[in-house]
Amino acid sequence: MAVEILKDRYGSKVGTLTIGNGPAEGGTRTSVITVGGEGTLPAYHFEGELPHRPVIAMEITDVAPDWNPTLLEALGDVGSTTAWAKRCVEEFGADMLYLSLIGANPEGANRPVSSCVATVKEVLAEVGVPLAIVGCGDEEKDNELMQAVAEATAGENLLLGVAEQENYKTLTAACIVHGHSIIAKSPIDINMCKQLNIMITEMNLPPERICIDPTTAALGYGLEYSYSIIERARLGALQGDKMLAMPMIATVGHEAWRSKEANVSPAEFPGWGLQETRGVLWEAVTAAALLQAGAHILVVRHPQSAELLRNHIDQLMVANAY
Amino acid sequence: MELCTVTIMPDGARAQVPRETSLFDACAQAGVEIKGACGGGGVCNQCLVKVSPRRALRIEGAGSLRPEQIEAGYVLACKCRVIDDVVVEVPSASRVLAHRVLMEDEGNLKAYPFAPILSVGECQLTPPSLLDNASDWDRVKAQLEGDEPKASLGVIRNLPGALREGNWQVSLSMIDWGDGPKVVRVEPGSTRTFGLAVDVGTTTIALSLVEVETGKILATRGSYNRQGRYGDDVISRIIHCSQPGGLEDLQRAVVGTINALIDEVVDAAEISREWIDGVVVSANTTMSHLFAGIDPSYIRLEPYIPAFTELGPFEAKELGLKVNPQAEVYLLPSVASYVGGDVVAGVLVSRLHQGDELSLFVDIGTNGEMVLGSRDFLVACACSAGPAFEGSGITCGMRAMEGAIEKVAIIDGEPQVQTIGGKPPVGICGSGLIDCLAKLQDGGIIDRTGHFVGDWERLRPSAEGREFVLVRAGEGGCQGDIVITEGDIKNLIRAKGAVYAGMRTLLKALELDVDAIDRVIIAGGFGQYLNVEDAIKIGLLPDIPRSKYEFLGNTSLKGARAALLSREALAEASRVAASLTYMELSAGNTFMDEFISACFLPHTDLSLFPSVIGKEVLAR
Repeated sequence: MAVEILKDRYGSKVGTLTIGNGPAEGGTRTSVITVGGEGTLPAYHFEGELPHRPVIAMEITDVAPDWNPTLLEALGDVGSTTAWAKRCVEEFGADMLYLSLIGANPEGANRPVSSCVATVKEVLAEVGVPLAIVGCGDEEKDNELMQAVAEATAGENLLLGVAEQENYKTLTAACIVHGHSIIAKSPIDINMCKQLNIMITEMNLPPERICIDPTTAALGYGLEYSYSIIERARLGALQGDKMLAMPMIATVGHEAWRSKEANVSPAEFPGWGLQETRGVLWEAVTAAALLQAGAHILVVRHPQSAELLRNHIDQLMVANAY
Repeated sequence: MELCTVTIMPDGARAQVPRETSLFDACAQAGVEIKGACGGGGVCNQCLVKVSPRRALRIEGAGSLRPEQIEAGYVLACKCRVIDDVVVEVPSASRVLAHRVLMEDEGNLKAYPFAPILSVGECQLTPPSLLDNASDWDRVKAQLEGDEPKASLGVIRNLPGALREGNWQVSLSMIDWGDGPKVVRVEPGSTRTFGLAVDVGTTTIALSLVEVETGKILATRGSYNRQGRYGDDVISRIIHCSQPGGLEDLQRAVVGTINALIDEVVDAAEISREWIDGVVVSANTTMSHLFAGIDPSYIRLEPYIPAFTELGPFEAKELGLKVNPQAEVYLLPSVASYVGGDVVAGVLVSRLHQGDELSLFVDIGTNGEMVLGSRDFLVACACSAGPAFEGSGITCGMRAMEGAIEKVAIIDGEPQVQTIGGKPPVGICGSGLIDCLAKLQDGGIIDRTGHFVGDWERLRPSAEGREFVLVRAGEGGCQGDIVITEGDIKNLIRAKGAVYAGMRTLLKALELDVDAIDRVIIAGGFGQYLNVEDAIKIGLLPDIPRSKYEFLGNTSLKGARAALLSREALAEASRVAASLTYMELSAGNTFMDEFISACFLPHTDLSLFPSVIGKEVLAR
């Protein structure tokens, strides 16, 4: 007896987001990324169109980070941001880079805005992939910093962050003026996610230049909440809610590498196995779950997680049409 | 006992109070009531007064007074004990002024057949003799037509004297709650009987003296609920009950308020208070408990269980009401902890339960109570909106009293205000706050989440974010700056969000769309002065044709009067209470989700407010 394949029909699609401009569009990128555009749930090739592959962004920082030693060992020298960026692209196969300007933090290295901007420009000169660039988390500094970054990279069509409900106006204005897209972050709440998108679009930044960061929670730390918010937004998008239809970014590396499981030594928990594999798996499993929920851009740190994830995306992109 | 003299300025009123009396109470004894939203907790800063000399007081706390206020001689009246003669200057912002209470309009409630619960029967009795030696009471009963009446002990006590004084001609005042007549008063000769309809609100109390033969209202009076000094909302009052003597304080305060109003109505109508034989009280569940002197503590604690839903009738003297001691008092039945007899009265008056159309009844106060239904079903819920709409918990908030800003217009960032009674502005009341929120958003001064946007001359930094100066000190006789802070705006958005979310949750539970509502009934003191357009604009009320909105005023009071005048209405109240399904919003997570999505101006789902969004697009 033939099995009847049930298919849902949706009235709408996920929006698309293009990051990076090549020389023809006034930028210097050698590759450009487009995500989104799906007319169905993730990997449902039998049901609808999945025109663009989810992408892997590798996270780099402007000053050497104090990350887990096993992670740093795998990354090689992180003292030079440009060299690190180049390795991510050429050796580790990153589709794009996610540059965190943590050095700007007044409570940390407190690098001046001009130095941070210089770092951004060096990275852009070193690699051809598109960039996502985020500030240090200090509201006042970030407003100044990201405005300068937006201006210095005008025409490149980068993805700049992070806009939040309490502080979105400066960055939105900068993205409008200098032709960038924006990361709109909300605290694992579908309503607040939508509210922020409404307010940003009401400032006249078009929806196709917004990327939703629904806030990532790592495996064991509320992953299921992130999962269901991503899924709900995706279903909302498919049902025609334009203010939930933007592609989504998941900052997996930052969250997974904060977990106890990724960091404690085998001496402390002998039963948990080698730390080298544990951290990688924690990151890869978190990313895989969010990928299956519907995330479009997965930000990871470890080259091996990137590798595992790439294989996973390859498999999920194999057509399964009946 | 050592007495201290407290002099209130500028009134010049004085009181002699025992040493160690709280300044708050001392002022009350001098006849000047001071606001106290937090119930003496020293946190609301409403009881701000200026004293001299300071050493005449033992100061137990300064709350959140600013150093310059302390420097200027200000103290919190609730946190001071009088230890010596003192002069107190009470600013008008700290005073409880005459309150605008909704008075019910004249006219009959024609919806229910006229059949008052009270009646007077006159008897001409044959005097007893050795041959006819039936008892006085048997003699009376034999003379009366219809069902055999009952009588209370007090009535029988008065009977022998009355019969003989009236030379065997007496009048009997009888009450019938539907379970047969009962004699509540016997008078030699003839008499009259009156009923009292009482609305016991958390903030205000209103009552009507009703002539039962005609259904005519002889007088209606309203005032503050004196419980106000123990806290602004039901929760702080319930908490006060946990203190020794707390329940008695509250019971005394509510009965005291009612008795003072009774004094006024009997004077106005020139009748004897003894002629009031029946009292119907409509109140929320907590007020019903406190009026009856029953501990309401468990209403506040999960799983939120009231001591009773239907109670009475009982005798007036048990409660201390200054009417005929044998008069009977009945509380309109409540449904659940947060849906009380006042809501049942609202249904009764709006006849929501009799219509074919789908109606939504909304009573917006500290608690937003709503009922959705028709002749086929009735579902009710209550959500805690917080006291913002009553002007509490808001920096310059106040109740709807003289001097309260009730309307705001903002042109190019410059506000213009209109106050109740045209008096110099003192603060902002609930309807003014709603107006203000709508106008701030209209003027582009706040964004959809309530954050201030841009730079305006009236915008200045404050301890909690920024604040917008509505009225500067000196403008129009205003004593101090009247501001609305970002925190206030967030509070208001949460309050309106809660009400709207309650409504949506109710509709969703029944799988109904907002367009399915044929009629929206707005009730309560707040409703009367509410600008529907503004309320829709901020997303407090659903965006449906304005013609569907109806204002019924004080339905609680109207419902109590309906029960006095119509036994059918009375019986209907019990049926309504029994058939109302109460939906507990704290169970399940739909409400929280709805709440967050409603905490946006007007709503995260903009398509729910097509007329509001449409207008904005046009304006651009």
